[in-house]
Amino acid sequence: MISQVFILSSKGDHLIYKDFRGEAGSDVINVFYEKVTALPGDQPPVVMSHGDLHFVHVRQGGLYWVATTTADSSPFSLIEFLNRLACLVQDYCGTLTEKAVQMNFALIYELLDEVVDYGYVQSMSSDVLKNFIQTEAVSPRPFSLFQLSNVGLFGAETQQSKVAPSSAASRPIQSSREQGGKSEIFVDVIERMSVVIGSNGVLMKADVEGEIKVKCYMPNCSEMRIGLNEEFSIGKSQLRGYGAAVRVDEVSFHQAVKLDEFDNNRILRLSPSQGEVKNTLSIH
Amino acid sequence: MQEWANQLCENRQFGSKMTDSKYFTTTKKGEIFELKAELNSDKKEKKKEAVKKVIASMTVGKDVSALFPDVVNCMQTDNLELKKLVYLYLMNYAKSQPDMAIMAVNTFVKDCEDLNPLIRALAVRTMGCIRVDKITEYLCEPLRKCLKDEDPYVRKTAAVCVAKLHDINAQLVEDQGFLDTLKDLISDSNPMVVANAVAALSEIAESHPNSNLLDLNPQTINKLLTALNECTEWGQIFILDCLANYTPRDDRESQSICERVTPRLSHANSAVVLSAVKVLMKFMEMLPKDLDYYGTLLKKLAPPLVTLLSAEPELQYVALRNINLIVQRRPEILKHEMKVFFVKYNDPIYVKLEKLDIMIRLASQANIAQVLAELKEYATEVDVDFVRKAVRAIGRCAIKVEQSAERCVSTLLDLIQTKVNYVVQEAIVVIKDIFRKYPNKYESVIATLCEHLESLDEPEARAAMIWIVGEYAERIDNADELLESFLEGFHDESTQVQLQLLTAIVKLFLKKPTETQELVQQVLSLATQDSDNPDLRDRGYIYWRLLSTDPVAAKEVVLAEKPLISEETDLIEPTLLEELICHIGTLASVYHKPPSAFVEGSRGVQHKRLAGSAGSGESVESPDTGSAAGVSEAPPAVIPSQGDLLGDLLNLDLTPPTATGPPPAAAPGMQLGAMDLLGGGLDSLMGDESEPLGGDIGGSPAMGAGFGAPPAAMPASFNAPVSGGLDDLFDLGGGVGMTMGSYTPPKTVWLPAMKAKGLEISGVFVRRSGVIQMEMTLSNKAMSVMSDFAIQFNRNSFGLAPAGPLQILTPLSPNQTIEAALPLSTVGPVMKMEPLNNLQVAVKNNIDVFYFSCQYPISMLFLEDGKMERQVFLATWKDIPNENESQFQIKDCHLNSDAASNKLQGSNIFTIAKRTVEGQDMLYQSMKLTNGIWVLAELRVQAGNPNYTISLKCRAPEVSQCVFQNYEAVLKN
Repeated sequence: MISQVFILSSKGDHLIYKDFRGEAGSDVINVFYEKVTALPGDQPPVVMSHGDLHFVHVRQGGLYWVATTTADSSPFSLIEFLNRLACLVQDYCGTLTEKAVQMNFALIYELLDEVVDYGYVQSMSSDVLKNFIQTEAVSPRPFSLFQLSNVGLFGAETQQSKVAPSSAASRPIQSSREQGGKSEIFVDVIERMSVVIGSNGVLMKADVEGEIKVKCYMPNCSEMRIGLNEEFSIGKSQLRGYGAAVRVDEVSFHQAVKLDEFDNNRILRLSPSQGEVKNTLSIH
Repeated sequence: MQEWANQLCENRQFGSKMTDSKYFTTTKKGEIFELKAELNSDKKEKKKEAVKKVIASMTVGKDVSALFPDVVNCMQTDNLELKKLVYLYLMNYAKSQPDMAIMAVNTFVKDCEDLNPLIRALAVRTMGCIRVDKITEYLCEPLRKCLKDEDPYVRKTAAVCVAKLHDINAQLVEDQGFLDTLKDLISDSNPMVVANAVAALSEIAESHPNSNLLDLNPQTINKLLTALNECTEWGQIFILDCLANYTPRDDRESQSICERVTPRLSHANSAVVLSAVKVLMKFMEMLPKDLDYYGTLLKKLAPPLVTLLSAEPELQYVALRNINLIVQRRPEILKHEMKVFFVKYNDPIYVKLEKLDIMIRLASQANIAQVLAELKEYATEVDVDFVRKAVRAIGRCAIKVEQSAERCVSTLLDLIQTKVNYVVQEAIVVIKDIFRKYPNKYESVIATLCEHLESLDEPEARAAMIWIVGEYAERIDNADELLESFLEGFHDESTQVQLQLLTAIVKLFLKKPTETQELVQQVLSLATQDSDNPDLRDRGYIYWRLLSTDPVAAKEVVLAEKPLISEETDLIEPTLLEELICHIGTLASVYHKPPSAFVEGSRGVQHKRLAGSAGSGESVESPDTGSAAGVSEAPPAVIPSQGDLLGDLLNLDLTPPTATGPPPAAAPGMQLGAMDLLGGGLDSLMGDESEPLGGDIGGSPAMGAGFGAPPAAMPASFNAPVSGGLDDLFDLGGGVGMTMGSYTPPKTVWLPAMKAKGLEISGVFVRRSGVIQMEMTLSNKAMSVMSDFAIQFNRNSFGLAPAGPLQILTPLSPNQTIEAALPLSTVGPVMKMEPLNNLQVAVKNNIDVFYFSCQYPISMLFLEDGKMERQVFLATWKDIPNENESQFQIKDCHLNSDAASNKLQGSNIFTIAKRTVEGQDMLYQSMKLTNGIWVLAELRVQAGNPNYTISLKCRAPEVSQCVFQNYEAVLKN
């Protein structure tokens, strides 16, 4: 059971505060912030207690997302809830920043009201929620000094102008309903490479982690298919083809992905609901 | 809207910058006034903006309760967005303005009848959140209707609302019959409604432990299991948690529930997974272990737990805390999954530490090599905290997996070689623990440790090092210097180090009394006179009194055998573990504390226990439910039988020597030391009467008595044991027959009774007609019967080993003495000892294992066929290089050359030739050792000169010293 939920900026400003069960006052926000900032490095910050009240928090988008509880409830559901909440807020506000949260506080309150009742999580799927949510999102103007993406080198026209700016995908999902017009799907491939090099120059560790993110702005998207390279092989399975094959140690998929054709044709079938669908690939 | 948001930000910045409070209040008033005007505006948009502003102020903590009536006025609107905002405000301020809240009731009641289900649900939800007593009576009618609403969205909201109402006014809920309606909702067609009804009922049932509200019977369980498959993930959590409270009637029912819960293990939501794990772990207790299904279930539990470790770090941490419990309860689930607990370099430190802990718990002989390699890797990382923990972990592995101890020690030594300061310090702390667990096994590393003495600057490492030096003082030549070096800055040390230093020096004194008297006086006076730490002072006094009254007792106390440590010390106590297993996936499992320790008492917290498979029909709460098997037994404690030893000591002092054995060799010297201490040390202490400390001593009667008594007791305790010991020695020497003219030394005490819990062993090595024998006298000086004797040798220079078992067939009753002869062979494992003829022996009996070391005369090893041909002798003599020759003097020997030659022959030292040059007899002799080494000797005997000169030549010059000692012993007896 969730007693309160609040969102703090990294400096400790109160952005959102909602009390569900009237078990503690809003003064605990400051207690939490003092506790979390005073924490020594090796102490696990995930669960902290203050008298009968227990704080569970995660950090996303540079913000503290905190849930409190008085009962012996499940920290898994609290953490899972907070992570989903952060996702939901990102979906609805477009981006996950202090400013976006500040500007869309009314929307977030409305979301919280629908998502949690008397401390019990009700539903967090954006499909269900869109029936209830009235407030519209306000997107902060994306930072663009020159609209850099449209200006080529020395002002020359380049191919760049045909490419959507990287901020294109960070817009609220709701607007698609109102604007009606643009039915878009964004597929982002994100790769992170981590390399640790010893003081003697020897490579100690190198791994690449990547994910494919699909963001869907189609009001009624029935099914889509993503074809991967045929030579894509997982684990110790046999290499296919002769080209520069991609070998991946481990793959995990979002639950909305159907894998019937994956084994043979490397095709992912998914029927995305609006919002973000993650498909994580971790490569070593 | 953009503009407004900016304005909001500015306002906040402005507010926070203002220091002039007067000015601040006026702005605030102005702001509220402005808002009031906007709220009463006719334009809807403007109203909405105003309410938003109010809520924004509310969020940042400004008091906007003054606007209550104005906001409530905006409530009657058909704009859902505005309505929601107003309700939000109401929920926050209704409690502080109960009278005003009544104003809103009518609108609520009206909204509950609205055509739009969203508005109906919103009204019910908000009313429940307004925690005002007066409002509740208005709530009842609408709530009753909504519980039976046609729209499931309204019903599920109403179900939760019953729980809200119950919290405010429990009696009202019962009187109105809401509980029955709620129970009916468990059978609702919509799974979301079922889930909320279950959640509400569980919560209400918690505050009425005996109400039988949530009557779980096979029928309702069946309904719940059906709803489980259909409802949302969050609903599944409520249902699973509710299922965990059910106790199946028999193992068949619990198996069928397990089967239906198992699919939840592959859910993407970790909370669902953990709730399912909880149900399974609990119901598994009911299943017979030989069932096939039990094994299948165990296998199914591992993958979901492993998957949790690829989630966000926060989830990983919580998962690891739970896995820690599961591993302690059922290590078999994850025993093959060691690899997933290996630390990733980018894990947050708290995740790393938890992983380390689990790695140690899973460590076994099978995977220890892998674990150690990994831990060694961690110990070279950059994060200091983590490195320290990794080094500690190596130590814990050594203590946990006995077979790996040697490997762990060598890993630690490798790490010490890195010379990284904190690694060295941590390693030393850990090695101390290893010494505690395996005494007398790895002392060879002490020398390496001593090299790093200088670099220790942390109290814990210094204390550990001092402990090691004190504990093994007899094996460290310069122990006194080492400890003295610590003593210089005694007052700057932390208490931990001071205490340890005090104890270590007292230990050293008891072991080497003659050389360290000054040191011990110094530390005692530092501890008692110059320190204001009461712990240190008291410990100092205790040692001082002990040493001055009864040094033997002091030895008993200070050098007492310590109970062995075991890895069980860091395990969770079994009953707590059982309770925590019932709370898997809750905060209790993260804190590793029972819920009663951190949840307020009023919510009836029951101590849950696992049901044993034997008592399948019993209720969970039943206290006599058979606690599950596998609860670890009490760790074996090694407690020296103090009473027996005391009695033994009394014997030593008072009774005539016939019944007692000789005291330990160190005793007389030690007592002399103590007497000196009494003389000098005490006087100086008593002399400082003017100081407050001195006064303290004088005032304590016990202290006075302690000081007064010893001089009187001294002569008695000093004389008796010594004479007794001598008599005894003489006795024994006479008792052993001298055969064939070979010299047999008298038996010496190898193992004093004090060190071996009452078992005293004295003995001698003899060679009789080609057979080496170890003749021993075993005396039982304890009060209990000893039996099950066995003996073992450590590897030694000449491969001596028992040729058969120790033949002591009858148990040794108290005060009985028994003779035993153990034939020895020379084919055992070989290791060079220092000195060469040193032999380390372990004797075991039903009480414990004891270790001692003794030296055997090398003549034991001279073979009967050791007479060399003259030619061979000459050739060999020339062949052996001169640097292998060593010369010794044997003084005060009055035998002539023939007598000497005869005597030596008895010990298999054969004279090959004799030459007389200028009145000097030169005997050329040879002997052959069991391992085939020949020793050649030239013995010069000059008539009238009692000093012999002996030259020894041998290909292995190390033995010369021993051979010379043997010559001396034989010739002088």
